[in-house]
Amino acid sequence: MISIYLRKINIWYLSSFLISIAVAIPIVTVFSSFFDSTSNYSDIIKNTFLYDYLLNSFSLLFGVLFLTFIIGVSSAYLVSFYKFTGSNFFKWALILSFAVPAYIYAYSLTAFFENYGTAFTILKNLFGEGDYNSKIPKFDGMIGAIVAISFSLFGYVYVLTRASFHYQSQNLIELGKNLGFNKQKSFFKIILPSARPAIVAGLSLVAMETLSDFGSVSFFGISTLTTGIYNAWISFDDLALANQLSFYLLIFILGLFVLENLSRKKAQYHSPTRGGFKKKALTTLHGYKALLAFSFCFSIFFISFLFPVLQMLYWTIIFPKHLIDLDLISLFSNTIILVFLSSFVLISFAFISNYGNRLSRSKFLEILTTFSISGYAIPGIILAVAFITFISWFDKNIVSFFDIKNIKSIFIGSILGLVIVYFIRFYSLASNGIKSGYLKISYSIDESAYLLGYSKFKTFKNIHIPYLKNSILLIGILISIEVIKELPITLIMRPFNFETFATQAYIYASQDLLEAAAAPSLFLILIASFFILITSRYILKD
Amino acid sequence: MRLIIIRNENNSHSQINKGKEKDKMKRITIFAMFLTFFTNLSFAAEVNVFSARHYDSDIQLYKKFTEKTGIKVNVVSGKDKALQKRITEEGADSKADIYITADAGRLGAFDAKGMFQNSMTSTIKAVVPKNFRSKNWTGIAKRARIMYYSPERVNANELNGMTYEGLADPKWKGRVVIRKSNNIYNQSLVASLVKHNGKKATCEWSKGVVANMARDSKGNDRAQILAVAAGEADLAVANTYYLALMLSGKKGAEQQAAAKKVLPFFPNQGDRGTHMNISGGGVLKNAPNPENAKKLLEFLLTKEAQEHIVNNTFEYPMIEGVEPHDLVKQMGIGFKQDLNTKVVNYQKNQAIALECMLSAKWK
Repeated sequence: MISIYLRKINIWYLSSFLISIAVAIPIVTVFSSFFDSTSNYSDIIKNTFLYDYLLNSFSLLFGVLFLTFIIGVSSAYLVSFYKFTGSNFFKWALILSFAVPAYIYAYSLTAFFENYGTAFTILKNLFGEGDYNSKIPKFDGMIGAIVAISFSLFGYVYVLTRASFHYQSQNLIELGKNLGFNKQKSFFKIILPSARPAIVAGLSLVAMETLSDFGSVSFFGISTLTTGIYNAWISFDDLALANQLSFYLLIFILGLFVLENLSRKKAQYHSPTRGGFKKKALTTLHGYKALLAFSFCFSIFFISFLFPVLQMLYWTIIFPKHLIDLDLISLFSNTIILVFLSSFVLISFAFISNYGNRLSRSKFLEILTTFSISGYAIPGIILAVAFITFISWFDKNIVSFFDIKNIKSIFIGSILGLVIVYFIRFYSLASNGIKSGYLKISYSIDESAYLLGYSKFKTFKNIHIPYLKNSILLIGILISIEVIKELPITLIMRPFNFETFATQAYIYASQDLLEAAAAPSLFLILIASFFILITSRYILKD
Repeated sequence: MRLIIIRNENNSHSQINKGKEKDKMKRITIFAMFLTFFTNLSFAAEVNVFSARHYDSDIQLYKKFTEKTGIKVNVVSGKDKALQKRITEEGADSKADIYITADAGRLGAFDAKGMFQNSMTSTIKAVVPKNFRSKNWTGIAKRARIMYYSPERVNANELNGMTYEGLADPKWKGRVVIRKSNNIYNQSLVASLVKHNGKKATCEWSKGVVANMARDSKGNDRAQILAVAAGEADLAVANTYYLALMLSGKKGAEQQAAAKKVLPFFPNQGDRGTHMNISGGGVLKNAPNPENAKKLLEFLLTKEAQEHIVNNTFEYPMIEGVEPHDLVKQMGIGFKQDLNTKVVNYQKNQAIALECMLSAKWK
């Protein structure tokens, strides 16, 4: 009996433990080289640019948070509380913005607004020759990055806020009405405050993604902490500075993570657990109000999704040669292989670990799993290089004792290695997804089940699984979307002759062939959109 | 009480799962085999290229090479420094045979870390001028970093005898556009100035250039040329192939028209000549197929390959007897190239160059 008990504990323990270790590798690697050599690059950088890195990261973060808050909350509010032309369409159409990675959005912005870009062509065709370049606003540099990142990430705020609005108690709102609150007052006094945890959770996800963004900030040439780490570590071998910058970044992100977790916990208190969930009465809008609501939602949909799609489509059409040159079949199969392998691996492990946590209710395990989300805290590009560094250390110091060869080629430049780094990067996504699925199943439900004579397994099978089935599917799709869009890890870790839509688009873009990057970008967006559409009913479950 | 239930349930749960676990193990094994197959896929005769220069036309060239020699070319392309890091970390196990990138300074820096081996063959030595190769790597194609001006706003007199040094002249105040200081082509250009004028003068010069900028540095080389076309600035610094690319219509009719609004200018004709740079490559220290790698380098320097390169990327040929693309010829080919400054030396001064630019608050 005791031995079985121990064995049981060990499996869960071990898996959670191993997962945490695996996911912690990059952090350990980054910090373990703390006392390594420093080049004189750091002196130059410290005097001139360290301040800039911090300032830029802050400005970027601030701008993105502000924009995503406005866009995300107001659109969620409109579609949750009102009925107007297209309101049902916008409910799901707005999440299509998830299909557009920030770096592709950045390409579109540049393509459209640059001197002699698409905007110029449109104006010229409409009004004839003219000096339009100086009149067209330039979305590049910091402004460009803020816009690109905001419109590709506001979905997080939108989805979470909308869910919170949806479950918001109608009783409370009615109570407000009885107290004589007008629309405005009830929005600011009741609706917004009770959705605060969801909004904060959404914003902290946005913040984490923003801080670890590499593609669009490097495209716009902005020196943020992330590009700073990249330059210090990879370009100048200045580990001390890289560590210092990583440290700042991690502090930021861990802070955000704690904030997100706390908000999630609070968010539970607002969900109606028992009785009295009255379906919300939607206010139907008429006249100019309906027009305003429609225009607002349509603008967001247009800017976040249609604009990049149309820009890429336009280029694909006027430069068809690039589409013909594209090896679609191999790009597609490579992307799909990665999607399936990583979803499978991530979900399996997240499941093992979470189920174990729920069964054992061990505080230690829970802390360990919480720690294992740290992969999310490190920008992909740093993660990939840290992994390579770790494998080469591992090879030199441990594997060589056992006389095993080729360990590096198994992990570096292979699909296996790629999937492992994806695993580290997206584990928090999978684990938190399953976890929040589990959180929805109150322990009291488990206990009621036991009282009804359900066994643990039956409880799991008949109660957890039906609940979690949607979570699993949803998480699988979320991982797929992330993998399809993922750039820096794929770029560094991929095998020979292996391109995905993301790397292909990047490669063209980095050669200043944005028009050639259009076709792979377009396919990437379409595939991701497809995945989003098939899950939209789960993401937006009413 | 609850504990007991948990134990019991755990027990039954584990039995139910045993069969499943076996199945799972089987699947995992098959999976692992599948993965190892993926990781160890290799050909008898091959050469593995790590390239930070990734034109489609390069891929077509590699295909031609395979047709000729039967040697399969495998490619990983990516960001320059990240690729270098991967090669360095892979160490003796690295499968990379050859590393190709743009900018002599990058090649030099990687060489300084001891990552290349002797890449020279008598064929390469015979066709590539000494100035554009070292023992361990060779240039494959050339480009010049020149100036572009608006003929409407800059008159011939102003440009008479114009040099890179002249970019700091106050008469250009608010009229110059150039890329950021982190751009490697700028670092090489400024490194060559350090070589000729010394650190102190170059740091002063950087301040002068920053003071003359029409806007904070941003965008790529093409964006600098477009800024002049659009009237944002009068004078831009950019590499030669960008203008030809736009003139070719490959970037669309709009940019083709815009490119015609600017004219190229080759600086420093009165003294050492215009700053030249290369894209090139070398055989890596731990290359598993060094001979094949050398064959590939030799192939890239044949007349056939050079013609292919110059006609697709608008660079200058590395070898004699190959003509640049017509559009490049139109820009002028009789100009004096800076052959005093060996491209091998760019690397030595790039750090100082960056320091000068950064301390001048060159974005």
